[in-house]
Amino acid sequence: MKDKYRLKKWQELPPGGVITEGGNAADYETGTWRTWRPVWEEKNCIHCLTCWVFCPEGAFLLRDGKTPSGKDRKEIRKIDYFYCKGCGLCVRECPVNKKGAKEVIQFVREET
Amino acid sequence: MPKTIAITGNGAMAEAMRQINPDVVAAFPITPSTQIIEDFAKFVADGKVDTELITVESEHSAMSACIGASVAGGRVMTATSSNGLALMWEMLYIAASMRQPVLMTVVNRAISAPINIHCDHGDSMGARDAGWIQFYAENNQEAYDNMIMAPVIGENMEVRLPVMVCMDGFIISHSIETMEIEEDQKVRDFIGEHTALNSLLDTDNPVTWGALDLHDYYIEHRRGQQEAMYRAKSVIEDVSMRFGEEFGRKYDLFESYCLDDADRVVVAINSVAGEIKEVIDELREQGEKVGLLKIRLFRPFPYAEIAQALKGCKIVTVMDRSTSMGAYGPLFSEISNALYDAEAKPLLYNRTYGLGGRVMLLDDIKDVFKESEEYLNNGKVEKMFDFLNVRGG
Repeated sequence: MKDKYRLKKWQELPPGGVITEGGNAADYETGTWRTWRPVWEEKNCIHCLTCWVFCPEGAFLLRDGKTPSGKDRKEIRKIDYFYCKGCGLCVRECPVNKKGAKEVIQFVREET
Repeated sequence: MPKTIAITGNGAMAEAMRQINPDVVAAFPITPSTQIIEDFAKFVADGKVDTELITVESEHSAMSACIGASVAGGRVMTATSSNGLALMWEMLYIAASMRQPVLMTVVNRAISAPINIHCDHGDSMGARDAGWIQFYAENNQEAYDNMIMAPVIGENMEVRLPVMVCMDGFIISHSIETMEIEEDQKVRDFIGEHTALNSLLDTDNPVTWGALDLHDYYIEHRRGQQEAMYRAKSVIEDVSMRFGEEFGRKYDLFESYCLDDADRVVVAINSVAGEIKEVIDELREQGEKVGLLKIRLFRPFPYAEIAQALKGCKIVTVMDRSTSMGAYGPLFSEISNALYDAEAKPLLYNRTYGLGGRVMLLDDIKDVFKESEEYLNNGKVEKMFDFLNVRGG
């Protein structure tokens, strides 16, 4: 584990529970909250980015890609499980999932 | 040179506030502390202070505004009593745990019901676990002196805790006594400038106050807060010593009155100590070895120092002006704790007195010493816990 994520001793904390750095929500591993894990099936994905829009933790990471006709577009690269808290919004909102014939995002019980 | 003036306890506290000249005062008036804020509002209106006075709609809001202003980097003060303090309850803990050195006068008054405006210590004693440093004062001079020391103690970087300065409602708050008010400049030099710590208004160094703190960090923050209380004790000793050198009035963590060779000791808080001293003087003339230990600092509680001071006495009467329903009085519990490790334990018992302003006369104090003499002669305590001056016994 990186030292950044090491739990600090009481002597190391500034008084009063103050957070002294801006934007440090990025350091918080909301992934530890997860009991159900969304698993992305790349072969079924149409890269509409609906999941990326809905994800409250910004856990869908993107890459540069091309449409079938060769235009530039952003594509889903992977799910960042450091942040994914397993809320399941992506699973529910995925339009391919909604149609029901194929699954892009499966929701599976987290291995214990 | 200090000015010797005749002034009420409330007037003295308003003078202390004028001299401290805080950035913000947020208050909601309640008897018997009202005059403090009345007087101070006049100072604001007359331009004698630079303070922003916020007239809020309740004591909960008063303390909330104090916390906000303190977090924004200001030196902040308020005053209250009784149910007003009770309405601040939630925010008292938040001020302390966010380590904001808010300064507050508590003019001690009984808590309802039945509704009562007179003195007892039920209000501030109920707040003893909130994390505030608590000073108690026998008279207006001590209350004033404690308040002058309060910012130096609370704002110390090793401490950063809110400070409550308590004095008795009406008996002190409304009685005129002569006392010394120090020169404004001398007081301001003694106190020094307020230093903000992680101010919300410091936009170059953005911070978040009051964030969620779960099982992974809450206990560490509480541990640090407890440490600040431990450290406060030696800071209080240093500041009191420096105050004595500067202004000539010396304060220890508690006052020992005829304690060195005393067999029978009373432990008490606030104005009743004046009467007890009067009775001790009389009994001493008759050769009785009696003494008083008067509490000044209740939080942090100086256990070891008090145990040392009570070493050698034979019987201790602890007088509580508040009740902890279903338990001994709050002061008794602390004295009892302090004496647990003592080698030669004195006889020890608890008397509750003065609730809701019930008067204690000199004869009543004499009865207290008479009873302790009987107990000492019999070698045992008949009643561990009892009320004084209550009809029906």
